[in-house]
Amino acid sequence: MKENKIYTIIFTFVISFLFVLILSIINSMTYDKILENQNFSKIRAILNSMGIEYKDEKDAIKIFNSKIDQIEIGGLKFYTTTLNGEKIYSYIFSGSGLWGTITGVISVNESIDRIVGIDIISQNETPGLGGRIEEDWFKQQFKGELVKDKIKIKVSGASSDFNKENSSVDAITGATLTSRFFINIINDSLEKIRNALRSE
Amino acid sequence: MGKFKEVFLKNTWYENPVFVLVLGICSTLAVTNNLKNTFIMTIGVMLVTGFSNLTVSLLKNLIPSKVRMITQVLIISFYVIIVDIILKAYLPDVSKALGPYVGLIITNCIIMGRAEAFAQSNPPLISFWDGITSGFGYMIVLVAIAFFRELLGFGTIFGYKVMPENFVNWTIMIMPPSAFFMLALFIWIVKGFKKEGAK
Repeated sequence: MKENKIYTIIFTFVISFLFVLILSIINSMTYDKILENQNFSKIRAILNSMGIEYKDEKDAIKIFNSKIDQIEIGGLKFYTTTLNGEKIYSYIFSGSGLWGTITGVISVNESIDRIVGIDIISQNETPGLGGRIEEDWFKQQFKGELVKDKIKIKVSGASSDFNKENSSVDAITGATLTSRFFINIINDSLEKIRNALRSE
Repeated sequence: MGKFKEVFLKNTWYENPVFVLVLGICSTLAVTNNLKNTFIMTIGVMLVTGFSNLTVSLLKNLIPSKVRMITQVLIISFYVIIVDIILKAYLPDVSKALGPYVGLIITNCIIMGRAEAFAQSNPPLISFWDGITSGFGYMIVLVAIAFFRELLGFGTIFGYKVMPENFVNWTIMIMPPSAFFMLALFIWIVKGFKKEGAK
């Protein structure tokens, strides 16, 4: 009976159906929660890259809704705010890293010659190696960095580069490829932002 | 009760999945440079092994032998996806940090190994216990390796700085090759102990 062909086929169908059914129920139960988390991580990344501080999740959402506008300039979507009398533009970038897509936010000042800050929304790099692009010391290197043209990456024994005038940052040790891919994404985004904002 | 103790000792020491059976090596090499990630992923492996063993054992009389392995893979991926969804919904930061490694639990040979070698021919409760203890045996090895790699590579334990200010991080420790050395050293030391025991 158990080894019968018809039984085998029916069994395979039934068991696949049952397990997938349970999964889709669990998925739909947690769908809103996951969406909320993703939305919050976007808001958090935008605020971080602009250098705006917040206390908790509610506070962050409140600040985001009251202070930050969404506009479209030259075909690109920007989040914008005015901080200390200067306008800041944030752009959500997305590009390929070593293993998968890296999505994040880059904020620039009005004249687009300095990066205000960056943050990562999602990435699939190797945990502990390329995944360290999410760590503060790496992201802080971009804060206030002068960018007349492109940002360069340094591969050296030194730890992070905090010189804000040399348009370069230090790569992550053991993850030079991810660092390079990441810098390319940043430079591409800067190029896009310049073209869009200057087209106005 | 004796059988439970026997299974526990077998899975954590005499037939430890990592240092005796040498299974699950990919993840041993990949995630062990950071204690927090290692800890959470091994808990995931432990739960998945336990529950897939339980389910396989409950269904074993219904599963035709031709599609036995497909069914096991289905059950394993079912639990891995649940772990993934739960992390995404309730621990989004951890889920972010682990990235693709949660999904890769599916490919951990220990889980299928236990389903095939134990759950297929044993009653549900002891199978569940076998899965949990195998996962635990895997966990202790990974956590031990991660402890030394994080300590020497970053100078931290669970992200807290413990090494003195002037400590120079051993960069090799955070890179994949060091896991080979650490695992080999670990196996060497453990085998030494076992020989002592045998005498």
